[in-house]
Amino acid sequence: MAAYMLCRRTAMFCWAIRGLSSIKSYIPVSAQCGLLQQIAHYNPKPLKLNLKNPYIPDKDSENTPEWQKTAKYDRKLFGRYGFSSGVNPAELWPSHAQLEEMIAEEREWNPPLEVLLKNVEAKEMEANAKRLGREKLIAGNMAKMPKMVADWRREKREAKLKLKEEKARRDRLLAEARERFGYALDPRSPKFLEMVSDIEKEEKKKKKLLKRRLKEESFSPPAASPASSSS
Amino acid sequence: MSFTKKPGGKALDLLQHLPRITLGNLRPEPGTRKPEKRRGRGQHGGNRSGRGHKGERQRGNRPRLGFEGGQTPFYLAIPKYGYNEGHSRRPQYQPLTLRRLQYLIDLGRLDPTQPIDLTQMVNGRGVTIQPLKRDYGVQLVEEGAGVFAAKVNIEVQMASEAAIAAIERNGGIVTTGFYDPRSLAILCKPVPFFISGQPIPKRMFPGEDMVRYYTDAANRGYLADPGKIQKARVALAQKYGYVLPDISKDELFHMLSMRKDPRQIFFGLLPGWVVNMPEKKILKPTDEKLLQYYST
Repeated sequence: MAAYMLCRRTAMFCWAIRGLSSIKSYIPVSAQCGLLQQIAHYNPKPLKLNLKNPYIPDKDSENTPEWQKTAKYDRKLFGRYGFSSGVNPAELWPSHAQLEEMIAEEREWNPPLEVLLKNVEAKEMEANAKRLGREKLIAGNMAKMPKMVADWRREKREAKLKLKEEKARRDRLLAEARERFGYALDPRSPKFLEMVSDIEKEEKKKKKLLKRRLKEESFSPPAASPASSSS
Repeated sequence: MSFTKKPGGKALDLLQHLPRITLGNLRPEPGTRKPEKRRGRGQHGGNRSGRGHKGERQRGNRPRLGFEGGQTPFYLAIPKYGYNEGHSRRPQYQPLTLRRLQYLIDLGRLDPTQPIDLTQMVNGRGVTIQPLKRDYGVQLVEEGAGVFAAKVNIEVQMASEAAIAAIERNGGIVTTGFYDPRSLAILCKPVPFFISGQPIPKRMFPGEDMVRYYTDAANRGYLADPGKIQKARVALAQKYGYVLPDISKDELFHMLSMRKDPRQIFFGLLPGWVVNMPEKKILKPTDEKLLQYYST
């Protein structure tokens, strides 16, 4: 037993040496390091094909199931048993009609590479254009931004001033009302509202008067001048 | 009484006289099996058998997971967001690290003296690809780039930049190639396909979403221009700071320069051929139309 093992070991060693010399040319790095590259080749499990007693269905028999009479099953038979299956190998490939169908399908669903690339490029261009348009819009709006902000600030300030004036006017009116009636009035009371309307009327009258006077003042000199020119 | 001591002792003697071990006389090791517990027997009869008193607990008809007794459950109360939208339809690429690739080569499960593609990796049980689970192949990941020292001509479906650099530093070649699900299934399991007796189909081109990846030389795509790929190799060597080995003077130059046609699934087998396994024959079509179809 031991002798047998020894024998096997020496045989393996010899094999290794031989393998080393033969493999050296392929893998110089590992051979230099003294390592032996072993390749465990793929050990497939045996193909269990019943070649001695193949089952080949009788196509004319009624007992044969329908699915065993199809072209697909014929291909399978040929794949399993080869020429002994009795299948015409020309039938392994699609017929002309089927081929045309396949070509049509491929034309519809799998365009050639150039078309594919062109489509992708067109899509990319479109997306790029969209992005650029958006960026342009944003840039334009951003350029408008400082002016818009300034406008907004001005408006705010004006609104605030207006509010202040309004308040001051109301306070003044209230104070006047107190002066006139001798006591503090509710700003919603009809008395107060009447007073306010009175004051407004007076102011309007005053304004009218002022306007008329101004008009007269401004009209009198031109009125005088045409008179002088005509005379 | 003459007593001769045998080397095996009594046990060997016993073994020789015992019947052959079969499934019929095998039994578990004593002490490995526990007797099944029988609830509610003896003095415990009429009790609750450890299931508490009444209700869903005792009857074992608990409501479904996440049900909160009728109030809006948590999983419905919080809004959902589309991070995982379409996850069941997204293509998957199984990761293959450089460490594992080196391990497979070291164990001899992959042969670096031949071009490595998915068939070799699957046969070496390096990766598991399930085309029916939306797997589109493997992606080469840079993990283990430091220990990787093999010179290979490998074809994967995706590769990271560092992984490409690690392979090319050792004088190897990476190609990223697309396989449509049908071709992928054929590539992973060739024999069941050959037994079906069908001609090898054409490999389809990638869709519009992936065609850019495979025409890019930086990804070493199989549709990229070879000249551009050479330029990209040099550029990557400069970026990662290594000297690109000149493979044209290599002993394995023939192997390293092997590439598949974009329409080809297997090395050495063209679309349209039929491989017959039992007779070990290859059948090629002669019809003009067929040749025309399979060549374009």
